[in-house]
Amino acid sequence: MIVEISHFLALLATGLFFLVGCFSFIRSGNIYISNLISRTYSHAFLLLLTSFTIYVWLAITDNFSVAYIASHSNSDLPTFYKISSIWSAHEGSMFLWILFLAAWGFLFNRSVDNEVALKPLSIGIISIVLVGFLSFLLLTSNPFETILPFGPPNGADINPVLQDPALAIHPPTLYLGYVGFVIPFACALAFLINGNTEIKWEELVRKWSVSAWIFLTLGITLGSWWAYYELGWGGYWFWDPVENVALMPWLAATAFLHSISVSVKSSNLRIWTILLSISVFSLSLFGAFIVRSGIIDSVHSFANDPQRGLYLLAFIGTIIFTSMILFVIRLPMIRSAGSIKAFSKESFISINNILFGSLVFSIMLGVTYPLVYEFLFDQKISVGAPFYNAIFIPIVVIASIFLFFSIDSKWQRTVKMKFFAGPTSFSVILAVISVVLCIYFFNTESFTIIASLFAGFLIIHRYIIEIASSIFSKKYINPFSVLAHFSLGLLIVSIAFNSMLSTERAINIKINESESYMDLNIFFKDISLVNKSNHDAIKANFRIEDSFSNSFTLSPEKRKYFTRGQITTETAIYVTPLRDIYLTIGDQLEDGSWIVNIQINYLIRWIWISAVFMSFAGLMLIFSKQRQKI
Amino acid sequence: MSFVLRVLVLIIPVSLIGLFFVLLSTENEYPGADYKIFEIPDFSLSNLNGTNKISNKDLEGDYLLNVWASWCITCMVEHPYLSKLSNNGIKIIGLNYKDDRSDALVWLNKFDNPYDLIIHDFKGTLALDLGVTGAPETFLVNNGKVVAHYQGEVNQIVWNEVFQPIINSKNLSLK
Repeated sequence: MIVEISHFLALLATGLFFLVGCFSFIRSGNIYISNLISRTYSHAFLLLLTSFTIYVWLAITDNFSVAYIASHSNSDLPTFYKISSIWSAHEGSMFLWILFLAAWGFLFNRSVDNEVALKPLSIGIISIVLVGFLSFLLLTSNPFETILPFGPPNGADINPVLQDPALAIHPPTLYLGYVGFVIPFACALAFLINGNTEIKWEELVRKWSVSAWIFLTLGITLGSWWAYYELGWGGYWFWDPVENVALMPWLAATAFLHSISVSVKSSNLRIWTILLSISVFSLSLFGAFIVRSGIIDSVHSFANDPQRGLYLLAFIGTIIFTSMILFVIRLPMIRSAGSIKAFSKESFISINNILFGSLVFSIMLGVTYPLVYEFLFDQKISVGAPFYNAIFIPIVVIASIFLFFSIDSKWQRTVKMKFFAGPTSFSVILAVISVVLCIYFFNTESFTIIASLFAGFLIIHRYIIEIASSIFSKKYINPFSVLAHFSLGLLIVSIAFNSMLSTERAINIKINESESYMDLNIFFKDISLVNKSNHDAIKANFRIEDSFSNSFTLSPEKRKYFTRGQITTETAIYVTPLRDIYLTIGDQLEDGSWIVNIQINYLIRWIWISAVFMSFAGLMLIFSKQRQKI
Repeated sequence: MSFVLRVLVLIIPVSLIGLFFVLLSTENEYPGADYKIFEIPDFSLSNLNGTNKISNKDLEGDYLLNVWASWCITCMVEHPYLSKLSNNGIKIIGLNYKDDRSDALVWLNKFDNPYDLIIHDFKGTLALDLGVTGAPETFLVNNGKVVAHYQGEVNQIVWNEVFQPIINSKNLSLK
């Protein structure tokens, strides 16, 4: 009964969003119409929010007459996981995705004045997108379907791998990032439709774009971390198709944020900014399509349903196609007024846009190529790390070198590049020294690693000099840019060190035996059976000593869950600032020894920490008072 | 320049969208199904209890060969349907794949045993020869020849769409 109220409210919201969409195309500029649009949108959002809240309440109170809740939640789960079970599968997560999309629109609606020229149309465009997705939800994947007269008394058993705090937070964070880009998208389209080049749409959307970018960055980072410690994958990035479709909007969004910082000032690079704002949201939609159409096999994909895929593709295709047509028609109008001077900041940012564009294009190729190949030759192939490394490493190194030279450049004017000036040559020397030291101590011969280390150190040293000169000689620096790019340097160096130094090995070891691996001495103390309420576990205890005579115990587990019979591997990780020692336990062999997999992962924490620093730079930018000066 | 940009901006998304339309609409609805015909390779493996050896000559006539394991979750989902087939008199041979013997026996005790005979393929050698990539997979065998191979869970829909047409056309009797 209550679920019908929730269902009805969602339907009502869809109707109201539809009305907003219709109103917004009355181009009167009349303030009453604008007020009407704004209020109707707010009401529609509140209806949708109420509908979702009721749905959450149904999940908390174990209302298993709702088919979706019955098959994805269980009465024994803690409340926290009852809530997160809502986004553990397709229907519910789509509902959340739509709610977030509407919420960004709502916040935008509340904080922008009704008299702002582009607002009514932007809200209208957001509403049209919402109507499309709500129809998709209600027609093809309705989460409100019920099992009558009674549902199962205790619900279903949910996958233990999904019962993890990081996973409960990871999808919502990522969704907030994906759908947040609807605001720059809607405003760019509104700008194109409106056709008045005097309007500064960039200023309107900058803060929103940065916020969405922060969520996207954090969402991807959380996913990477979760796969590392819970799935037992033992790495931070796997070029899984679904990781790739999250990385594409991130790269496009990063280029977009750089581009918009130019357009805000001088209307230069407007074509880039508009094209990128459309691309970012299109790529987010493309991600939703890839994950939900079942076209790609991946750990993330939801159940396969070709009908769903076709609906989504038709709708997403219409959105993308319409916006591109609009872009092409209006292209002459948005031509930049001035030209870009060589070696100005703008010129470097356009180069950056081209490089990031190439990265997005190559990932797109990597994602689609296996599909085309399978279609043509009926054979499955996978495009993996070698392909992406071959493309990413050179482009990132080139981009880093351009970044290095861009630090001394100025807005809108050519500054003669002083290659032998103090900071430039000094940081080159420091970078060379650091790389030579690395080669000497770690004996690396891989050219890609040396190049990446050089690029990373170049950025780090250059920014350290920059920070020092701001402290000692009061030179003005842009703190957001410094923090974000310094983190990029840190990220590159951490990744290079990680791939240079990390090692792993599987060892066979019996109880009461010792093995040594690298500088570690591993002693297998004992193994015990642990009986828990919902699983049995084999828990192995290892005593490990390292070369600094630290000694610690690691206890990896193998769990077997009763109801699903699922076996999960619980890794044991010893974390230090410089390296992780990562143990997983495998099977027992016939001679009584156990297979134990040991990994030593260097600087892996710093990869995530740099990503968090980057989002922190974005956060600072949002809350800074002197936004105009940047 | 502007012309190139216009063309690129339109062509890239349009070709991508077109590509996905083609892929989605022609996508085999049962991507796990394969109808290549080949002979069951020679093998000699023990049964699940470890009491007898089983080889090609013990398998006669038409039957289903189901690859399963106690560690496989989808096998558990599939299991009730296999029991139903078995109750309808259909002959199902089990191929226990890379599994611990005692785990497998406990599993069968718990969920009931739909198999006429179970081959214990601990090392996965026979499965490798058959082209098995995981569990569950099901083969339809006609006089020592595989005539259909399905990767993934067999249920009523898959049965009707993948197996039944071949059973009818070749007039197989799986009793």
